[in-house]
Amino acid sequence: MKRALAARPPAQRVLAAAAGALGIGLLAPWPGPQAALHAAFVFGLALDPESALLTAVWAAAGGWILEGSLRIYPHHGGTAWADMTLALAAWWLLREWAVDDLRAWMGRQAILAAVWIPAVHLAVRLAAGPHLWGSGWIWIALTLPAWSWLGWRWLRPAGR
Amino acid sequence: MARRASPWGWSPAGRRRWALILLWLGHGVWVLSGPDAGGAWRNAASTAERPVEALAAAWRGWRLRRAERATDLAAAQTELAALRQQVQALETAQLDAAPKLAEGAAAVQLLGLKQRLPLSTRAARVLLTPVGAPFGGLILDAGRDAGLTEDQGVLAPEGVVGRIWSVGATQSEVLPADAPNASIAVMLARSRATGVLQGLGSNQAAIRYLNNQEVVQAGEAVYTSGLDQVFPRGLLVGYVTEVKPGDLELQVKVALAAPLRRLPLALILPAQPPLEVQPPLVPKRNPGEAR
Repeated sequence: MKRALAARPPAQRVLAAAAGALGIGLLAPWPGPQAALHAAFVFGLALDPESALLTAVWAAAGGWILEGSLRIYPHHGGTAWADMTLALAAWWLLREWAVDDLRAWMGRQAILAAVWIPAVHLAVRLAAGPHLWGSGWIWIALTLPAWSWLGWRWLRPAGR
Repeated sequence: MARRASPWGWSPAGRRRWALILLWLGHGVWVLSGPDAGGAWRNAASTAERPVEALAAAWRGWRLRRAERATDLAAAQTELAALRQQVQALETAQLDAAPKLAEGAAAVQLLGLKQRLPLSTRAARVLLTPVGAPFGGLILDAGRDAGLTEDQGVLAPEGVVGRIWSVGATQSEVLPADAPNASIAVMLARSRATGVLQGLGSNQAAIRYLNNQEVVQAGEAVYTSGLDQVFPRGLLVGYVTEVKPGDLELQVKVALAAPLRRLPLALILPAQPPLEVQPPLVPKRNPGEAR
């Protein structure tokens, strides 16, 4: 079920992505809100419906900024890789599988997050070695309605 | 009809696609390289080159074994040749040293005899031992320069040799005990009967002037009696080998104890020694020597 999306202007997309990335960096003292913004960024602000490459670049940038702000891993890049992968998956779903219902959208975002959180952990483990889970995943789960709604409004997957 | 550009070609879409793939794969490789990226690459390289290394090691081992085989044979041949030369040199040295060793052993024995005899004796080297000469004698390397005179007794560690026959300036000639014209006053060990020893040649001698009534046994030792004033009493001369009763006297053959033809050294007794000499009961010791 493929149909054309009413994408936002490129300048808006870039500004939104940049603002999200900046916010991830600035929220480093608050890991919980940072994790929630990170999820909103990967599954919303970083997605460029017209460019998979820009989507991957912004998602990777968000991951690098997050790990750089945390400064706890000996080898960065795991979060960026997982972000890039899941953002590309979300981008493909966004293009190929339109959703008209917010609940369905939230369910899809929940499934993506459920895959993304272990993927980030696995990628960071591969890159930097064993590490703690932390409480980020709880914040992501708890704020799922908020960041998925933000993505719903920003991406307009229903084609409004 | 316009030809559609391939999405994987060198078009804007293709370049974006390749950039995306490279970006994703680059991140993946970077993540999979782990914290010790250099170590991971080294491990990967080591794993990749392991078969080649095994092949190279097998090749090196084969060449080394082959070289060792060739080297071992050459080295063994070289060592064998060197050992043969060494054996020849040792045999030559042994042959060269044999007379010296024999002379050294004789010197040790002579020194023991010299220490046992309480007389002022002198050692001399035997230069020549003529074989078969009826009146031939041993040639010593001492003469008038050593104060020798005629009729001085000559001894060997094994027994009596003879007496000095003639004295030169630096050499002297010894009349051996087995010479036909040699005579030594002797006595038998068991019967104490005395007689005169006359040479028969070939290290043999006979005792003259023994009464037929004397009881002499083969194997009996014969000593000097000291009556000739050349040898003191009690020096070993030889052993009785044959005893036969004769018409007028007992015929006794004696095998001389001293090997007259194989003497490297000899001990010269003083002229007219005393009849009786008693060897010291306790060997002389140096003042500082421990008992």
